[in-house]
Amino acid sequence: MKTNTSRTDSQETTRRIPFAQLRHLILPSFRHHRLRILGGLAALILVDFLQLIIPRFIKQGVDALEALTVTPSGLLRLAGIIVFIAVLVVFLRFAWRYLIIGFSRLLEQRVRNQIFTHILKLDAQFFEKRTTGDLMAHFSNDLAAVQMACGMGVVAAVDALVMSLAAIGFMIAIHPLLTLLALLPMPFLAVATRILSSKLHKRFATVQEEFSELTEFSRSNLISIGLIKAYTMEDFQAGRFDRLGKRYVRSNLRVAFIQGLITPLATLVGSTGMLMVLYFGGSLVIEKTITLGDFVAFITYLYMLIWPMMAIGWVANLVQRGLTSLDRIYGLVTSRSALPDPVTEIAPEQLAQPGFQLSHLTFGYPSSSNPVLSDLTLNLGPGMHGVTGRTGSGKSTLCRLLVRLYPLADGMLHFGGLEVNHLPLAFLRSHIGYVSQEPVLFSDTIAANIALGLPDAKREDVIKAAANAAIHEDILALKNGYDTLIGERGVKLSGGQRQRLALARALLCDRPVLIIDDGLSAVDVATEHEVFAGLKRHFQGKTVVIVSNRIKLLSMTDHIIILADGAVQSEGNHEHLLATNSLYQSMFAKQMQQDTHPAVALP
Amino acid sequence: MMDFGYSEEGRQASLGDLQLWRRILGFSAPYKVGLIVAVVISLFITWATLTLPYLVQTAIDGSITASQLPNVERLAGLTGNALLYGAIIVGVFFATFCQILVLEWVGQWVMHGLRQSLFNHLLSLDLPFFNTRRTGQLVTRLTNDIQNMNEMFTSVIVTLFNEFLRLMGILVLLFWMNPRLAALMAIFVPIALLITIFFAQLARECFRTIRSQLAKLNSFLSETLSGIGILQLFGRQEATRHIFEDLSAGYLQRTLSQIRLFGTFMPLTEFLSSAAVALILWYGGGEVLQKRLTLGELVAFISYMRLFFQPLRELSQKYSVVQSAMASAERIFQLLDTKSTIAQSQTPGTMPDIQGHLEFRHLRFGYEPDNPVLHDISFTLRPGQTVALVGTTGSGKTTLVNLLLRFYDPQEGRILIDGRDIATLQLKKLRTLVGVILQDVFILQDTLLANIVMDTGCGREQVEAILTRTSMDRFVRKLPHGLDTPIGDGGTELSTGEKQLLSFARVLCRNPAILVLDEATAAIDTESENILEQAIADSFHGRTSLVIAHRLSTIRRADHIIVMAHGRIVEQGSHEELLNRGGHYALLVAMDLQNGN
Repeated sequence: MKTNTSRTDSQETTRRIPFAQLRHLILPSFRHHRLRILGGLAALILVDFLQLIIPRFIKQGVDALEALTVTPSGLLRLAGIIVFIAVLVVFLRFAWRYLIIGFSRLLEQRVRNQIFTHILKLDAQFFEKRTTGDLMAHFSNDLAAVQMACGMGVVAAVDALVMSLAAIGFMIAIHPLLTLLALLPMPFLAVATRILSSKLHKRFATVQEEFSELTEFSRSNLISIGLIKAYTMEDFQAGRFDRLGKRYVRSNLRVAFIQGLITPLATLVGSTGMLMVLYFGGSLVIEKTITLGDFVAFITYLYMLIWPMMAIGWVANLVQRGLTSLDRIYGLVTSRSALPDPVTEIAPEQLAQPGFQLSHLTFGYPSSSNPVLSDLTLNLGPGMHGVTGRTGSGKSTLCRLLVRLYPLADGMLHFGGLEVNHLPLAFLRSHIGYVSQEPVLFSDTIAANIALGLPDAKREDVIKAAANAAIHEDILALKNGYDTLIGERGVKLSGGQRQRLALARALLCDRPVLIIDDGLSAVDVATEHEVFAGLKRHFQGKTVVIVSNRIKLLSMTDHIIILADGAVQSEGNHEHLLATNSLYQSMFAKQMQQDTHPAVALP
Repeated sequence: MMDFGYSEEGRQASLGDLQLWRRILGFSAPYKVGLIVAVVISLFITWATLTLPYLVQTAIDGSITASQLPNVERLAGLTGNALLYGAIIVGVFFATFCQILVLEWVGQWVMHGLRQSLFNHLLSLDLPFFNTRRTGQLVTRLTNDIQNMNEMFTSVIVTLFNEFLRLMGILVLLFWMNPRLAALMAIFVPIALLITIFFAQLARECFRTIRSQLAKLNSFLSETLSGIGILQLFGRQEATRHIFEDLSAGYLQRTLSQIRLFGTFMPLTEFLSSAAVALILWYGGGEVLQKRLTLGELVAFISYMRLFFQPLRELSQKYSVVQSAMASAERIFQLLDTKSTIAQSQTPGTMPDIQGHLEFRHLRFGYEPDNPVLHDISFTLRPGQTVALVGTTGSGKTTLVNLLLRFYDPQEGRILIDGRDIATLQLKKLRTLVGVILQDVFILQDTLLANIVMDTGCGREQVEAILTRTSMDRFVRKLPHGLDTPIGDGGTELSTGEKQLLSFARVLCRNPAILVLDEATAAIDTESENILEQAIADSFHGRTSLVIAHRLSTIRRADHIIVMAHGRIVEQGSHEELLNRGGHYALLVAMDLQNGN
């Protein structure tokens, strides 16, 4: 969170992208809805003028009353005109609100969909740099800022401009010098609002940051409530929460200080103008330079000016915030995936047997300087390949490279004899079934989760896949069976169940290549054994890559690769490695205790 | 279970719920001085706002239009009025500033107190409670709901109070100036109120649908973002985009209907204001013609009318805020009233010199009462004995630990420490007696030392001594800054094995009479594994220990092995005995008990 805001702040001070580029994000919407906008603005300006006319009629009435030149029916006519204008204003107000604010919502939706469509194309490298919360902020805060600037911002700017120009014009017509005197405090208000609200913005950002810290603290505590209780950390954590809360209170008071200044300041400045009019205007009436009606109308116009003056500072902030957000959104939608995704047609016959050839593959994450995998040369053709090695030896990275989540230089990886960088991503991925280390499930029914890759799959196929992944019984035990909702708002599954569900998903797709990245680590050995023994026939002729640290499972594969520090330490079949590799031997010794289980030792 | 999320928003708290108000006020009692100050300031501001137009009126009638007086005298009167006017506006400025600060101060501290007691209360609730609630919802209570109530304290109470006072003041003034004209004006009050309440109700429903759609949109978004790799690999981008665009379009439709609603109602108060002015001009003008009203009074009437509609507008805007604040308050208090089902023993109960005799006696338990996961479990650990629990996933081993820690109470049977039922012990006392080393560990964003010590008050030397004794110092030495290495978010990421070591160190610092170890099932690097093995050997010696074991080395160290299956004890004995028996245990060992390297 901290890094997030510091980034925000630094961007706010140094906007790099010129508006000429930023406008491409919003201009199409403006162009598309130009009639709507024009209509809205016309209604808005009309409202302003009608509002300015009302005091003219009041002035007429008061002046006539003073001169005693008016009849009751004349007064009624004046009142009628005012009511008629007021009715007109109601309709026009509705019109601008619906047209312009509605436009800002349309624009918001367009930009939101644009961001989302773009994000779906980005690669893992991008998502490593940006947290989910960070990206969510673009969708909520940044979009809201743009929407506000294009909706209320436009309205307030036009309204303030028209109102102030007109009110000042009328005032000048009555008495130029008095106008000048009355307006003397106004620029002060505009400047003060501008300064104070930018300060307010900064302090408010602190409050929001602390608010999310508070939220995160509560969340992490409540989600691990068992651990908190087991370690009797309740009082300790309450103390920490108290400190966070107190800091939050203080930051809020700092915000209140500014807020406490802004509101009464507007009143003060407005009243000061009124004071000027009262004294100098009153003198002018006494000196008979202006009429009493002029004086009253003047006061009315002055009231009308208070809001535009406040609005100027407010609009300036709104626009600035909108631009900053637009800048961030622009940065997001122009970020490119580092993965090449060529648009070439690949005929099925061009592809040799589906499988991977790695030659001198070297890879490191952009965040660190050391390569995770170095100079890997492997042939992963049809058959079952086991991959093992210590934590951090590069097993998962290898899987992620195979499914093309990260970019690679040309010549390092071939799929079915073709250079992967020349293959469209969708084409390549349509050949691969993948089970990740951490199963990813979505808030939907179990059936839909299994059928993720084949949404039109028949129920019996889904059930078959589930049965093959040994999850069918578990699913039947749930109240709604395959139609049970899982995820955030549904049933919670255990880690092992989630993993088997993810496996069922990959099995249903029945693609020529299957990559399982330690995908059954939370499933007990017996079940794992059962699943793979059952699938062995199913895997005939396919390329299967299984990452695991379980000897039992590895011994079932045709070819075992032992990774150490990102390089192939040894490869071969179970017997070969058992005879030659010391790491494998020690793993075996720990897991297999030959005195208890001679059968596995010599399969 | 499934409709948890949104049903809460449908709940309505009535504004007239006196009991709710009483509780809210109860929390603000310590700050009554602040509240009284705010009220006094409020009275001043109301008086001042009403005096200003009156000053203008007296200036017009007494000086500006008093043509019978000499000009000098008229100017002097005007100056006097102007000076008073200036003094009052400066006074209003400072008073308003002070009022905003005082109310924010009160509101924030009241909320802090409420948040703190809610947090403490939540931490004291039992696990069954947390199993039925979504964490996000509870977090919302602690954060957004409290924030909502704060809104009420700062902006709403002051606006309601100020505006209401002003409204009343204006009405009184109008009646004092011209009762008949004032009575005419007063009919606008019920009209405006009716419109306001009607609108507020429609607006609330409208906001509710917007919020629920936004929640759907956001949760879909966050799920998509966190599972994006899988979606891409399974080629689901297009389908995902369509769902998102549908949700987005639904959101748009709801915001547009909100705009229509506001577009209809917002101009209505403005209309009332103009209509009132027209009425004054017509009726009041007639009164002026009949000399029943002065011109200055008429002008003042028009100005007051403008002031009159401002509070009405404000009140209508705040109405919905108060509604939502009350709903939040109701939800918060409901949570505060939730009682833990695990009965806490009130008497501290002294337990001198714990021997560490642990007995499980005829335990029967199910997370859902009619679906037992433990059936009649009985076994005993003699002081100093190490017992290993062995069994496949779902055999009930972890549940046994949950019962020992009293996360849940058994439906039948008892657990006894030194012959005393744990239900008669204070929870805190029990959980300090029994030290558990879990697979997972709660990491504070702090140094390793702070994470080990926490609130035990152990010194650095003590920690170092413990670590050296159990050879865990090897693990610490591997970290870049030893004990001072920052861990957790933004610090060094610990591996599964290292987390378990941290958990171990943490528990040893508390020197519990009984140790419970839930061995990691996930892969542990060899380095950590070796350290762990030695630490287990060192610290289990002479201490009653219960281990949920996955590693053969750990099991063989145990004095006694209990094999569980489907919530029952199926075998027990020593490693050799059980192996020779060739039953469940022998099979389990054969199936490979562990999965790490």
